[in-house]
Amino acid sequence: MKELFPRKQVMGFVFSLVLTIVALLVYFLDMSFAVGMTVLLLTAFTQAGLQLIVFMHAGESEDRGSIYLNIYYGVIIALLTVFGTLLAMIWGYV
Amino acid sequence: MDFFDRFAIPHPSPVIYASMVAIALTLVAIVAGVTYTKKWGYLWREWLTTVDHKRIGMMYLISALLMLFRGGADAIMMRAQTALPENTLLDSQHYNEIFTTHGVVMIIFMAMAFIMALMNFVVPLQIGARDVAFPRLNALSFWLYFWGAMLFNISFVIGGSPDAGWTSYFPLAGNEFSQSVGTNYYMIAIQIAGLGTLITGINFIVTILKMRAPGMKLMKMPMFTWSALITNLIIVFAFPVLTVALAMGTIDRLFGGNFFTTTDGGMDMLWANLFWVWGHPEVYILILPAFGIYSEIIPTFARRNLYGYKSMVASIVLISVLSFVVWVHHFFTMGQGAMVNSIFSITTMAIAIPTGIKIFNWLFTLWKGKITITVPMLYSLGFIPIFTIGGVTGVMLGMSAADYQYHNTMFLVAHFHLVIIPGVVFAMLAGLTYWWPKMFGFMLNERIGKLSFWLISIGTCVAFFPMFISGLDGQARRMYTYSEATGFGIWNMISFVGAIMLAAGFVTIVYNIYYSTRYASRDISSDPWDARSLEWATHTPVPDYNFAITPQVNSSEAFWDSKKNGHKLFPGNYKEIHMPNNSGVPFIMSAIFFVLGFALVFSIWILAVIALLGIFACLAHRSFEQDHGYHIPVEEVKETEEKLGGARQ
Amino acid sequence: MKVDQTKPLEYSTEQNNLNILGFWMFLGAEIMLFATLFASYFTLEGRTGSGPSGSEIFEITPVIFETFILLTSSFTIGLGVHAMRLMNKKATIAFFSITLLLGLAFVGFEVVEFFTYIEEGAALQTSAFTSILLSTLGTHGAHVTFGLFWGLFILIQIKKRGITPETANKSFIFSLYWHFLDVVWIFIFSFVYLKGMM
Repeated sequence: MKELFPRKQVMGFVFSLVLTIVALLVYFLDMSFAVGMTVLLLTAFTQAGLQLIVFMHAGESEDRGSIYLNIYYGVIIALLTVFGTLLAMIWGYV
Repeated sequence: MDFFDRFAIPHPSPVIYASMVAIALTLVAIVAGVTYTKKWGYLWREWLTTVDHKRIGMMYLISALLMLFRGGADAIMMRAQTALPENTLLDSQHYNEIFTTHGVVMIIFMAMAFIMALMNFVVPLQIGARDVAFPRLNALSFWLYFWGAMLFNISFVIGGSPDAGWTSYFPLAGNEFSQSVGTNYYMIAIQIAGLGTLITGINFIVTILKMRAPGMKLMKMPMFTWSALITNLIIVFAFPVLTVALAMGTIDRLFGGNFFTTTDGGMDMLWANLFWVWGHPEVYILILPAFGIYSEIIPTFARRNLYGYKSMVASIVLISVLSFVVWVHHFFTMGQGAMVNSIFSITTMAIAIPTGIKIFNWLFTLWKGKITITVPMLYSLGFIPIFTIGGVTGVMLGMSAADYQYHNTMFLVAHFHLVIIPGVVFAMLAGLTYWWPKMFGFMLNERIGKLSFWLISIGTCVAFFPMFISGLDGQARRMYTYSEATGFGIWNMISFVGAIMLAAGFVTIVYNIYYSTRYASRDISSDPWDARSLEWATHTPVPDYNFAITPQVNSSEAFWDSKKNGHKLFPGNYKEIHMPNNSGVPFIMSAIFFVLGFALVFSIWILAVIALLGIFACLAHRSFEQDHGYHIPVEEVKETEEKLGGARQ
Repeated sequence: MKVDQTKPLEYSTEQNNLNILGFWMFLGAEIMLFATLFASYFTLEGRTGSGPSGSEIFEITPVIFETFILLTSSFTIGLGVHAMRLMNKKATIAFFSITLLLGLAFVGFEVVEFFTYIEEGAALQTSAFTSILLSTLGTHGAHVTFGLFWGLFILIQIKKRGITPETANKSFIFSLYWHFLDVVWIFIFSFVYLKGMM
């Protein structure tokens, strides 16, 4: 039975629960918007990285180079799109 | 009868009724012809169910040529209408419809299909592979594109054409101002075709990354394969944006959503934003394969290897990132402040740098080369000056302050046609002529080909240069007519003459295909151009399995090395070859997508639900299916190779 | 079909490797799909027209439930893939079944949530904000629902055919999909709900 619950994945799960609870503090504690957003950005991206490495085994195959490159490229283009859109549609829209 | 009213054309005209009759007659003729010659079985077995990348490439090619003429007919009508001031050949509604369908058909259904045609046929051969990574998905891509194109093209006889421009900006494209189902066709047909394109993107990235011949490192890939890799990368990251934008537009139009409306918080500018987040990378999706084709053709006919291979690769990689950060330049005048416009102005001008590097590399490849002037080479040489003019005027448009003068004028129309025609159309025609012998086993006639080139290149200049002038004089694009006092008449008349030359050029291409099919020699070698990359190393016609023995590569021009430096390209003996099975599911599933699209366009919900269930059933079938392909035994490989003229070294 | 014994079953054939890499590329496209939805969400977030705003309709309790359910299902499918690598068919089936049941519970919560929104006057047509909110949540929910059927089909295949290079490959790819949906949910949880209620 024990072999079905590998330490790495159990620890990963516990850590992801902790991250979620930290994120929830934003709701339950009183904090400024800037602090809250910082907490959320940190917990969300850590959580995503955790899933990617611990659960999705992104680094285990012979194609890890292509996989990581693809994800990095995707995340960069995604962030450029989100912030570029905000820039053009809200912050810089007269 | 109320149910059928929705299929009526809102703005009928004799031309449209004539088209209906023509379409009906063509369909009857096709069905009768195939039945009479008893070719249904052949059609189904060899084409509709095929998963062979070469045949899929050919089907893309035929579709692209058909769409070229469909879009070209629109173009001629447009230029004819504006050739004279106060012309009444077309009314404003009809004019709106044809400039909308001209844009969509040419970009989505002609240029994209042409690129897919050449990528499909050439890339697996160039990297020494047996097929693409997912042959079944490749067939699905083609059929989704095909049925999407069909859905879009029936719009002008059933329910009415889209008429809000190829960009379909909201609120014009919203229900309030576009009441016919035309814009529904736009939203849904492009969605279906776009799905196919996305699948191709994934398929080719994996093919190129994982299926290259042994020894072909990334930096030893032929330049066309490099450009295909980067193009598909851009496809994978750009097309989902279009998917979302179209879905939001569909929700607005069919379900009363409030994304792009002018009430309840809707934001019409968000459509323009999302459209161009996809739209600008799309420009590079079109142009990069063209760059790849020129990078194959110029070294072949200059008898020199490509100058600056590494800088060529670096520049397309740079373009793949930069192409995603310039989109706002399409709407500098539509509400952003000076800060945003400056940022996007700078990124826009920056993208001219890698493009410039490529131009210089081609020029340096030509420098001191032993140039032979063939038709593909003519197109490549014609491309450089015309494209540079188009590109430089693009930098002018990219300066946001100056753009207030050029925006939405004929100047812009001149710019992007002078980029897209030499950049995409010339490249595709060059590639078509270049790879034609590999595809069909005979060469296209050079004399007629040269005539086509001169007609098309001079026609392009005559048609589009005058628009720079009329645009700077203030002629807005998409105007269906203008008064004589504006003085635009003369420039538009010259454009019309150019358009006729272009049309004549395309007709000579069709004549060339006909003439060469009848009279060209079938006795050509498998390498008629004395070329440099792997696709010329196998037989003509290419056997199903492409290469009997997997080629061994140790340079970026392995085939050239095998011809000149004694490199042994095909070591070892024949082995059993594993091949994928044909399947009818991609065709059937895409046809159901067509039904779903049709049902959504006309809000026939029951049919839509049935079609969705059909698609679901196809997916379920695929999940449970066990298909391990089949094997070609060694004897059969040997036999085929001997029939095709002996084993390859 | 050449089977490489040294690797886990899901990587053991050439086609399996192609499938896994292809699916990663697809996830790249999915990143852009959701990024576009998020970009639109942030743009339209404040444009509530005459309808309610996020802080007026969001409720923390169902969101916490949904989050923990999905996180747990992501953990159990990870265990499922681990059990599959140990060639333990029974445990694999058990973990996959638990995952799908949790997925079903998640979809149940989401359906109830949607009905509540509509009751509170936040329908798809109400305002730009509600349009993008329901579309973003709906796209994620539709992915989960699609996953339920897909996972069920794979479960049946494992049961009937056992753990083979083919079923192992399918299961592994399905697990990638499921984990990815969990990641997307984390972003929805953080930047739609928590940001909206902060």
